[in-house]
Amino acid sequence: MPTLTPASIMIERKMTKTTQSDIATIDYAVREHRSLWVDAWRRLVSSRTAQAGLFIVSFLILTTVLAHFFWEYNPKTDLDYTLKLKPPTLIPNEEVPSVHIFGTDKLGRDIFRRVVHGGWNTLMVGIIAVTISLVIGGLLGLLAGFFESIEMTRLEKILLLVFLGGLMGFLPAWIAEQPVQIVLFALLGGAAAMFENFLAGRSARVVLFAAVGLLIGGGLALFVSPYTAIVTGLLGGLIGAALSLQLGGSLFSNITMRAMDIVLAFPSYLLAIAIVAFLGTGLEKGMVAIGIVSIPVFARLVRSSVLSVVQKEYILAAQSVGEGHGRIIFRHIFPNVLSPITVQTTLGIGSAILAAAALGFLGLGAVPPEPEWGAMLGDSYKYLSSGAWWAVVFPGVAIMLIVLGFNLLGDGLRDALDPKMKV
Amino acid sequence: MARYVIRRLIATIPTILGVTIVVFMFLRLIPGDPAIAMLGEHATEENVSRVREQFGLNRPTFLDREALKQGDFKGFINTQYFIYLGRLLRGDLGDSIHRRIPVAATLMQRFPATMELAFFSMFVAIIIGVPVGIISAARRNSILDSTTMVGSLIGVSMPIFWLGVMLIMLFAVILQWLPAGGRLSSSVEFTPTTNFYLIDSLLTFNIPAFVDSFQHIILPAIALATIPMAVTARMTRSSMLDVMQEDYVRTARAKGVTERLVLYRHALKNAFLPIITIIGLQFGLLLAGAVLTETIFSWPGIGKWVYDSILARDYPIVQGGTLLIALIFVLINLLVDVSYAYLDPRIHYD
Repeated sequence: MPTLTPASIMIERKMTKTTQSDIATIDYAVREHRSLWVDAWRRLVSSRTAQAGLFIVSFLILTTVLAHFFWEYNPKTDLDYTLKLKPPTLIPNEEVPSVHIFGTDKLGRDIFRRVVHGGWNTLMVGIIAVTISLVIGGLLGLLAGFFESIEMTRLEKILLLVFLGGLMGFLPAWIAEQPVQIVLFALLGGAAAMFENFLAGRSARVVLFAAVGLLIGGGLALFVSPYTAIVTGLLGGLIGAALSLQLGGSLFSNITMRAMDIVLAFPSYLLAIAIVAFLGTGLEKGMVAIGIVSIPVFARLVRSSVLSVVQKEYILAAQSVGEGHGRIIFRHIFPNVLSPITVQTTLGIGSAILAAAALGFLGLGAVPPEPEWGAMLGDSYKYLSSGAWWAVVFPGVAIMLIVLGFNLLGDGLRDALDPKMKV
Repeated sequence: MARYVIRRLIATIPTILGVTIVVFMFLRLIPGDPAIAMLGEHATEENVSRVREQFGLNRPTFLDREALKQGDFKGFINTQYFIYLGRLLRGDLGDSIHRRIPVAATLMQRFPATMELAFFSMFVAIIIGVPVGIISAARRNSILDSTTMVGSLIGVSMPIFWLGVMLIMLFAVILQWLPAGGRLSSSVEFTPTTNFYLIDSLLTFNIPAFVDSFQHIILPAIALATIPMAVTARMTRSSMLDVMQEDYVRTARAKGVTERLVLYRHALKNAFLPIITIIGLQFGLLLAGAVLTETIFSWPGIGKWVYDSILARDYPIVQGGTLLIALIFVLINLLVDVSYAYLDPRIHYD
């Protein structure tokens, strides 16, 4: 008689003939509750590249956080002209009385210290920029992908059309200076969704709604001026006609993805550079710009992942037992698109850091004397011709290392979370 | 096919309109009065009104509802955005604030420099990236393969401005093999006709000019090509590995086709579609990267001009340059999509 374990009891009751090894196997499975994430973590730490990535990233995060909280540094008072552009010195001598393992920069500041402290800004940029693009892009992609493939419920359709009606109604309302039009067009949208079977598929429906739109837009505007009424009436007619068409989730998806296409039409960090150029320099503005610019990357990725998940049988099953859409999205779809999101987030932090460093290098990111790797590089590269290689090499190596770390980690995660996923 | 191309062309129109709105809205991002921001606090009254006139800053942003009230339909759309759009359609990108020269003409004049650098870099990236990817796929898990993969990962992680600075330090300052910046040494006599220096000098048999401009393009091209090269190599490898598992590759091997032929005739042909996408995408990113590379290497293209103009707050140039690069980007994506339909007859777009 083997020791009593949950597995052995189960087997005793159900089967008559079991071998010792069966029990061992099931025992293992029961005792070791293995989830996707535990499995993925095991695969992750067993891969050489992921190990390297994990090591680099955690090392840099650890030193940065420790330095930020325990190693005092005030960039505003850090200045010593007697130590201007000294090469790395490990042993203090008469000329350089202190140790500077990375040398000093044009203001005599210790580069090692600034590199270690600069990591904080760099990490902040990576995390905040990616959070912006992940939250906004992820949500848009999730909704777009879901409603593109699954029929909306009545209530959702009503909400969507009320929103769209109000949104489109904004234009005539603004022209005629009558905010009430927004409400009326929203109501018209609601009515279109509520009576979706009324005259369905006939041109009479379009004409009817267009006429109501014309009345809302033009009728009220007559109090302003007849000319205004002509324009808003025409607009109202168009809006009414648009609302009358039986539009569903694909409309939402279309609008979202076309908007994403416009942002994607700009090479990503050129747009970030332009935004910051007009907005004014600053690290915070840079973070927001980089975050906004990468929203489409996440939206597209999440949408396409959702589209493939929605086809699965378990979604059909969830629908057929009558689960609500919110529950399906968050309990069934979201967990299953989490792995591509995790991978993209990791890789996204790397590219956000690169973009922020580029902004800093061009003098559009962190405001001096704040230590930031890209800005440090931009500050010092003019001194290269006088031989001050150390002022340029070390911040650059730091940028490369942390980006490499996140890229290695992302690659490892990709293999660990989904062995089938490709580059 | 023709119908698909036309439909795809029509579908880009809203995107292009959206792009113009985004570029137009840049001016709205400026805190305070744009005219003052561009000219500085001590601008003369005359200059301020000139700039206001150029951007139509006295007009409403999108639509003029007051004009409409009076029945002035033309005034209704005689606003900043539509004035901007109207000028754009006539190829007028406005005038530079400080130098008062038309932006469009100068952009066109500088455009060949950027394109020459971009094409050259892409050429370098493809002729190295694609073969490396193929060899890595053919010898999967060999030392060569893992070296390439690690190398390409480092390439992707490299800040290109840092790489550029390092290249200058090594090859221009320490070894003094290559020039540190510019397109042509001042000692070389050469009058370009199309501003594509390499082609111009070759066609006029001006060998010294060709050699000199070739020497000038090497370093910026390496800096700019690093990322697309790495990405192309990775994409080629993974795409090849995918295709090599297909049945037709196994069949080809089974009937005794040599491995070389299998690789190039059967696998590469089918693996090429995703590679083309990546190359197209990378080309667009390359143009964006030009802002950094051109700045470091003093390359007189669009990127450097845009950068200088950011510092000088000469916003029409920044707007024009960004718009031009975005439009090229849209065009390239269009070409990639169309080439898909052409290259893969299985794809039907209806």
